[in-house]
Amino acid sequence: MTTVQRGGGPRSLGASLLDQVLAETLDPAYAQAARTREARAAGEEAPPSRRRRGQLAVALVLALAGLLAAVAYDQAAAGAQGREEVRSALVAEVESESATTDGLAADLESLRADVTAARDGALAATAVGQRARERVEDAELAAGALPVSGPGLLVTLADAEPDADEDPVGGTTEADPRGQVRDGDLQLVVNALWASGAEAVSINGQRLGPTTAIRFAGDAVLVDFRPVTNPYLVSAIGDPATLRSRFLASPEVNALAVISETYGLRFEFAQEDELSLPAGSPPELRSAVPVSEVPPGPAPEPAPGG
Amino acid sequence: MIPILGLAVGIVLGLVFDPTVPLWLQPYLPIAVVAALDAVFGGFRARLDGIFDAKVFVISFVSNVVVAALVVFLGDQLGVGAQLSTAVVVVLGIRIFGNAAAIRRHVFRA
Repeated sequence: MTTVQRGGGPRSLGASLLDQVLAETLDPAYAQAARTREARAAGEEAPPSRRRRGQLAVALVLALAGLLAAVAYDQAAAGAQGREEVRSALVAEVESESATTDGLAADLESLRADVTAARDGALAATAVGQRARERVEDAELAAGALPVSGPGLLVTLADAEPDADEDPVGGTTEADPRGQVRDGDLQLVVNALWASGAEAVSINGQRLGPTTAIRFAGDAVLVDFRPVTNPYLVSAIGDPATLRSRFLASPEVNALAVISETYGLRFEFAQEDELSLPAGSPPELRSAVPVSEVPPGPAPEPAPGG
Repeated sequence: MIPILGLAVGIVLGLVFDPTVPLWLQPYLPIAVVAALDAVFGGFRARLDGIFDAKVFVISFVSNVVVAALVVFLGDQLGVGAQLSTAVVVVLGIRIFGNAAAIRRHVFRA
């Protein structure tokens, strides 16, 4: 095959290879076989038995091609189906497990209420008990273990809306990480609220206690190790006017406002007359002292056997 | 007529009996199918050109399938399996397009 030389110089190997691939779509063997047939005696036709055999061979090969295509199709379909099955099984498992978690959390809640009622009943009997109960209640309030409601400030933080002029075809579906609210932003807001005199704070209905952590895991913000999702509603209970003015005056909040302006985050706040915050999960009981205040002495050692 | 029948029978057989392909052969199946498609299109075009030859068709089919699978297998052994299968698909795809265009010219005269 000769290629037309353009520009005088010899064509590169890659270009001539491409030319060949593009020009020679039909196997040259067909043309060769046709020439050979013609070269043989022109009038002499192939015997019918040979033609029959040839047709049969072609049919057989085509059957093989069909089989190959069907099997490949089956394989691909089975793969897709298998993936879908595994996926839906995993989704069902996740759902059932989170239902179990919710049920256990509800159990815990009711058992806790039982314990509190029993404790209050036992303490109410004596004056010492009454005083102890008041102390416990103060402590519980400070620890965020009791539901509270009252006026306060509602701060809303939300991820940036996807750009309208973003290319929907070639573009990635991943959101721009700079337009997403991070754990640090929430920590900043919560700290500013505490500093402004908030008495109780919750994020999306998750009450914050003294030991509650706001962390980032993968793409999700975790509050008290439970995921919360966009948009983030931070409710703070306290005197709304004081909260608002001190919150606005804090330099961190102003920095965050500039950041959200730049990256398109939604950052709003509003004074609310009535906010109700649920009880947070109380910290684990780690130490307890008997009522007698006498630390338990070492157990009497058994007398050495004589 | 008989060849078309053969193709239909093959497809039906494959769908009905659903034969299990050994695991080591599975990665080469799609490449083999593309190679088979190339041979079939080539044969059809040759038939329309009036130069079809049963022997050439059978040999080109078998060698196409075997060579395509072999090239990809070799590439897998050398660590360039994905690239080589892309190369095979590109070359065979161009040929399929070319032959399909020639068939179109024969059938529609355009």
